[in-house]
Amino acid sequence: MGLNRHKDTIAVIGVGSTPYGRDLQSSHLSLGLEAATKAIRDAGIDKQQVDGICGSGMTPLAQGGAGFLSLQGSLGIERITWGLNSWLGGAFVHAAGAVAAGLCDTVLVVQTYMREISMSRSAAADPYRQKLQQFADIGSDIEGGDFAKRWLHSGEPYAAWMRRYMHDYGTNKDAFAYMAVNNRMHGSRNPAAVMQTPITLDDYHNSRMIWEPMQMLDMDVPVDCAEAHVITTAERARDLDVKPVYIHAMSLGGTRVGEFYENSLPWTENAHWVAAAGIKARSDIQVPDVDLLYPYDGYTIDAVGCVEAMGWCKPGECGDFLKSNWDPVDNILKLNGHTQVSTHGGGLALGRAGGANFYSEAVRQLRGNEGARQVAGAKSALINIGSFFHDPSAVMLRVD
Amino acid sequence: MPGNYGPLDDAHVFELYPGIQLNRDNIEHYRGLAQGRLTINRCHDCHHWIYPHRPMCPECWGWNVTPEEVSGEGKVFMFTLLYQLRDPKSMIHEPVPVAAVELAEQKGLRYLARMVDCAPEDITHDMPVRLTWLEEGDNLWPAFAPVPGGQR
Repeated sequence: MGLNRHKDTIAVIGVGSTPYGRDLQSSHLSLGLEAATKAIRDAGIDKQQVDGICGSGMTPLAQGGAGFLSLQGSLGIERITWGLNSWLGGAFVHAAGAVAAGLCDTVLVVQTYMREISMSRSAAADPYRQKLQQFADIGSDIEGGDFAKRWLHSGEPYAAWMRRYMHDYGTNKDAFAYMAVNNRMHGSRNPAAVMQTPITLDDYHNSRMIWEPMQMLDMDVPVDCAEAHVITTAERARDLDVKPVYIHAMSLGGTRVGEFYENSLPWTENAHWVAAAGIKARSDIQVPDVDLLYPYDGYTIDAVGCVEAMGWCKPGECGDFLKSNWDPVDNILKLNGHTQVSTHGGGLALGRAGGANFYSEAVRQLRGNEGARQVAGAKSALINIGSFFHDPSAVMLRVD
Repeated sequence: MPGNYGPLDDAHVFELYPGIQLNRDNIEHYRGLAQGRLTINRCHDCHHWIYPHRPMCPECWGWNVTPEEVSGEGKVFMFTLLYQLRDPKSMIHEPVPVAAVELAEQKGLRYLARMVDCAPEDITHDMPVRLTWLEEGDNLWPAFAPVPGGQR
């Protein structure tokens, strides 16, 4: 396990978010630029101080997207000394890692998401979204006719794991249901959220079946959006007119499963457990002494995996844990009477951003200026992003 | 008729699988499918089964890897019922059962396929299943069916 050589020496100084919507009639690049300019202005720095960029997607030469080359050209940033495209939890961590490694001093992370044609009938009818898919970097022959390749980068194995999880631990859907109800309740209090109405446990159980046992309300909401973050050294951050949010510790993870998800390891050996072990070894702040928790909810089972991997409860006991940590007054989760979860509504309510909006919300809460939604006295936040098959991350943020 | 081929040359395999990214690591698997044989790469130094179709053994780093036909016996490790497909325009009237079948040859060696000859509600974890084949146009694809009288 690696050492934490950079504890509290890197800080987030800028955050920018676009509006969230089902059809913003925009493009990846447009969305990315809106978030990027907001984040750089939020940091109060000149754009030429940005010398590293982590863009969206996986291909440096992708056209029309928000990759780092397109972003740099579009923003008019003369020189960078580090550039990469990434996604999910990894983007933020790679960017912060580049600052820690000294390859750049001030890095811009931009993550864009759009509703894809596979996600709804109306999206499938949109000629712009059809073009997006035609030239998308799929990187494999998933749709090539071989059923055995169906679970390459697919949501269906997450559905199968929900069932296997319930079978192995002799439990029911409570864990998934309480997570969904919590996120939708927070979403109803967040004016930016696409889903403004709270749901009940009955609503959850009655929602449309997609891949049994996974239902509609287990899945994040496909939207058009972008999030951007500016990260620099803590030393530079202290010279700026912003409250630095320190990166206290971070970790990534991977397992030998590779890209064929049916080969997945047992539940407690999946990738979230690897990332969780990394952050536990590096952080001075430990579960349950964290003020805010942001477990990725691309599917509710991911959030359940994050909670169990971090040790908030024992494997298989998340349903009972969430049920017994439900605050009936505010109608949200308060873990151990204290830690609030996904205060912005997550992907299930605010909208699907590959976890990028979890970082944004954590930074804003820790700055302490979230207005009516501010969690009083929040000093630390744990963000667990990614899949239990690939690209998990764990990041501990804190303020003085 | 699918499956009724003699030796297949590479050109014929390419013709049969236009949507597959055929390469020198996986073509033998597809040559096998075309002939109604489910083959999985195997290391002939340490006898480890290797899936997906990778060229080197992850256990012993041996390169003496060739496809070998599996028995077709296995158990359902996990499964889901598809009520909606990726293409939102395709409507399904009956849920499609998809199972990751743990093949009898090795722990953790799993192959993804459709379940047939079984009502969706009768599929259970760890139930014994056996390989069968689905004919689609010019292709044969593996599927799994319950073993009659199979014990969990």
